Amino acid sequence: MQNIEDTGKQLITQIAGSDSPRDILKAPELKQLYGVIKTLPPEEKGGYGKRINELKITLESAVDTREVELESATVEPLDITAPWDVNSGPQSLLPTENGSQHPLTSELENVSDIFTRMGFEVIESRQIDDDYHMFGTLNFPDNHPARDGYDTFRTEEGFIAPAHTSTMQNRILLDGKKKLESGGQIGVVAIGRCFRNEDLDATHEHTFHQCEGVFVSETATLGQMLGTLRSFFEAYYGQSLNIRTQPSYFPFVEPGLEFAIEKPAALGGNSKDKEWLEMLGCGMIHPNVLSVAGIDPKKYRGFAWGGGIERLVMLKYGIEDIRHFESGKLQFLREFV
Amino acid sequence: MIISLNWLKKFTDINMPVDELVKLIGARLVEIENVVDLGEKYKDTLIVKIIEAKKLEGSDHLNVTKIDDGGVSQNIERDENGHIQVVCGASNVRAEQLVVWLPPNSIVPETYGATEPFVLGARKLLGVTSNGMIASAKELDLYDEHEGILEVEDDVKPGKPFAELYELNDYLLNIENKSLTHRPDCFGIVGFAREVAAILGKPFHTPEWLANLSPAFDKIESGGVDINVNIDDPELSSRYMAIVMSNADGNKKTPTKIQTYLARVGVRPISAVVDVTNYLMMLTGQPLHAFDYDKLIAVGGGKADIHVRAGRENEELGLLDGRKIQISTEDIVISAGDIAVALAGAMGGANTEIDENTKNIVIESATFNLYNLRATQMRHGVFSEAITRFTKGQPADLTAPVLFKASCLMNEWAGAKIVSAIADTYPGKTETPTIHVPQIQINETLGSSLDMPQITDTLINAEFDIDVKAPYTVLVKAPYWRADIHILEDIIEEVGRLNGFDNITPTLPGRDFTAVEPNGFDVFRSLVRKILVRAGANEVLSYSFVHGNVLEKAGQDINNSYKLVNSISPDLQYYRQTLTPSLLDLVHPNIKQGFDSFALFEINKAHSKKDGLNDEKVPIESEMISLVLANKSPYDSAAYYQAKRMLDYLCESLGVKIKYEPIEKGLDNAIVKPYEYRRSAKVIDELSGDLIGVAGEYKNSVIKGFKLPEYSAGFEMNSAILFNTFKKLKPYYKPLSRYPSSERDVCFQVGENVMYSQIINSAISALEPDKYDAVVTPIDIYQPTEGGTKNITIRIKLTASDHTLTSDEVNGYVKSISNLIVKNTQATII
Repeated sequence: MQNIEDTGKQLITQIAGSDSPRDILKAPELKQLYGVIKTLPPEEKGGYGKRINELKITLESAVDTREVELESATVEPLDITAPWDVNSGPQSLLPTENGSQHPLTSELENVSDIFTRMGFEVIESRQIDDDYHMFGTLNFPDNHPARDGYDTFRTEEGFIAPAHTSTMQNRILLDGKKKLESGGQIGVVAIGRCFRNEDLDATHEHTFHQCEGVFVSETATLGQMLGTLRSFFEAYYGQSLNIRTQPSYFPFVEPGLEFAIEKPAALGGNSKDKEWLEMLGCGMIHPNVLSVAGIDPKKYRGFAWGGGIERLVMLKYGIEDIRHFESGKLQFLREFV
Repeated sequence: MIISLNWLKKFTDINMPVDELVKLIGARLVEIENVVDLGEKYKDTLIVKIIEAKKLEGSDHLNVTKIDDGGVSQNIERDENGHIQVVCGASNVRAEQLVVWLPPNSIVPETYGATEPFVLGARKLLGVTSNGMIASAKELDLYDEHEGILEVEDDVKPGKPFAELYELNDYLLNIENKSLTHRPDCFGIVGFAREVAAILGKPFHTPEWLANLSPAFDKIESGGVDINVNIDDPELSSRYMAIVMSNADGNKKTPTKIQTYLARVGVRPISAVVDVTNYLMMLTGQPLHAFDYDKLIAVGGGKADIHVRAGRENEELGLLDGRKIQISTEDIVISAGDIAVALAGAMGGANTEIDENTKNIVIESATFNLYNLRATQMRHGVFSEAITRFTKGQPADLTAPVLFKASCLMNEWAGAKIVSAIADTYPGKTETPTIHVPQIQINETLGSSLDMPQITDTLINAEFDIDVKAPYTVLVKAPYWRADIHILEDIIEEVGRLNGFDNITPTLPGRDFTAVEPNGFDVFRSLVRKILVRAGANEVLSYSFVHGNVLEKAGQDINNSYKLVNSISPDLQYYRQTLTPSLLDLVHPNIKQGFDSFALFEINKAHSKKDGLNDEKVPIESEMISLVLANKSPYDSAAYYQAKRMLDYLCESLGVKIKYEPIEKGLDNAIVKPYEYRRSAKVIDELSGDLIGVAGEYKNSVIKGFKLPEYSAGFEMNSAILFNTFKKLKPYYKPLSRYPSSERDVCFQVGENVMYSQIINSAISALEPDKYDAVVTPIDIYQPTEGGTKNITIRIKLTASDHTLTSDEVNGYVKSISNLIVKNTQATII
């Protein structure tokens, strides 16, 4: 056994100083060590073989390091301040006709533009957060079964990759409290990435984008919520639309609803056989959620909603597989030049 | 969950077509996933009478029967008496029986809806024609019993449709359980029917036995046994009731009609004793459990002393399904004396299982802590109808009426009699709150205009207790089964929902004409996007999580990344510290797809432990822009300059002035890690001197690790810092001069280590902006292969605002500039 260690040390030193380190992997010393295996009693063979293999791996990684080092040594420094390389000329940009914006960011810009024009401020949602914002401020008691619906990723420290943009609700309410109490109203949209521990397929992504809306005033009503959401989709699709709701349950709203629109003409809908597209979840903000942010639920009421962006884009272009969005495939991206 | 429409109809009138009902339930309670038309499945199935049954010659088990179908079947071969011949292989077939017949051309219900449904015919068996078949319960898709044919015990005329006799002209509504998590009451037919009635605007009357919270159980006739129940920890169970019944007949079957109801909602009928508990659970949402009393006594050391307690370390229990489990201290256990006999709410123990010899039983009716049960469910993989209901939080008051009904049905169906007093311990009794509901609050919150009768009728139909106080206010008390109702908003939801949210007129909130400020950072990032797209780059979005490999290959310290403890795969285990590694990972796959030359960029967030936490104690997020360009074909110039060109173009378009500075060896910064410091530069904001990011080529190890082409380079910047500079920019305009400009090209020969910036900066520092408008641009950089020098040619373009420059003037000025350059760089002008 001692032999393995000695040979190993010796070879590593050789590699560190060699100009062709890979040759050392073929060293006769190493072959000899392998040769010993046959001579050992069966019960020792396993342990010995394992040690040699470990040594081999160590040596290989030493070779890799040395090779990089050698290559590094030949790196020629550049005049990083020069506009172009010596003996060449001005650099051109890439062909502009190949450039493309990601369809999701285009749509996010479009969505936030409509909400801005409607009177909402737009903020971005966080990508790492804590239990307090993701659940605690949203009226999810510890261990509440409703938490099951959100398969959240967690870090070793207990941080959460937010599973919904509602993780921004408490912050929006805290920020808007002053404005509210001086006679204004809170109208904020939070857009950003969300994450769910979900297996991937053509219609399921663990990474997706949501748009969250929060509106609070002294006179907010559920009717206003329906009107606001309808108005958004009418602006988005450029036509008047019928809407439909379905009761639903989210701990942070009361009442809670699912919101659907009739399939717009742009997506092949017609008024005869009405098809419905479920777009988002919404509801009147639960008094507990307002209270946590120090807003008096007896005086103020609000509504909130949250919906996915990917679906809008997929419907718009007829994109068949949600996985394309985060694939980085140029084949996909350049469809949007 | 499957809801039978016919079962609902036993509790409330429903006269509308099923599709309309489904729409209404969808709009006012819960989405119905799909509807199964059960009548279609049984449409050809008939009750017939066996007139004679004779052994079929040459077969050891087949019988030839003649059946009477009441003459209702058309186009069928009949004998002189009008009877139909059917061959049957069941051992229990005999004359005079009423059985179920599947005529030729009908589909065997068991295969209904399958990809290849089995269509019966008239075929010959050992030379004898058999018209269709006589069916077993299994073939009728009722339950798993095919030992023999199903015997119809009811006295009916042959020829009656089977579906009619057992009310199988039914529709089954499928509902996703998680859509009703908040409504334990709707997990029972009665509760669901109550909702449907309220939705249809009809009063509902809960059956008297279910409304009576203090039922009078049958008196014990004689003898009687003792039973004790104890809840050792009130956190685990708010109520536990039990009763002992004797002389149950374990062989008795439940009435066939009830069996068909159980079967259609997905519960397998077993025996009357077991079916009673399941039937009541489906009816009321309250699960029950029956123990074999004699076994329980044996386990408990001769006494029926039941405890509800937490599981213990190293405690084991054999379950009804044959598994032996290790109980956790988080599980709730039912024990007889000290010995576990059931995993509470989840499954009974094998040691007290009911079997065909069971005579005496203990019926349990209880509630358990739903959070514990949720964990138990996951831990031991129990997903029964019972635990599904328990984990929704069934009200403790429900246990008494259901136990009472169970005792009655045990008597009626299995002949059992009560032989103990009711054992009842109820440490978790709570008061139902009275909620003050002003009419105006309802309408102001919903934006509706409901009048008082509409509001009160709605609540009364759903069996809420109401008391109209002032003319426009009502005091509301929820019925005991609505433990989800606590506050005014809950009542508002009930009223809004049951009247239809879709009947509320959509309006818009009012706002003044104050302009809303678009988010500046969003506007900035959108601008960056458009500029980079114009420069020919492709925007990508990539995952916020990466494989540990990707970080390592990029030379970043894996320990600085937040690590997910429950990632889907190793590919998504670490938060990325910068965007560049994700982009590098996309280069090779795209080259493989045949793209030779491209630039990918992403604008997104990155996270590193090194950045620490913010005031909210959550990790600080970095806003980044990264670009990676690659070209498969070799190039005569370094890729660095292409990346620099892209970045210069971006910053010029934004109006931000940047400069490039060398990177010191060993700079410990995640953003710089992938870059080769000798062929990369720090990007500095000229105005503030802040470090914005890095541009350059990648380390050899990075190129190898990510299989990049040799011609690869890029940049990454902190977009928040860039935005900070951008936001401070003032509009800039230089008035046009009326006088012509003059240009001079000057070539400086300098040592090969002199940087271009030394020349250009010297030139700029020599300028006198007040005197002339001067523009200095590079023309040529030439380095001969030998000699250790290079020639840098620059063009100086001069314009005066007030006169035409003379040749002497230009030469003199250019000379003064050149002199300074010579002085600073030891250049030779050539």
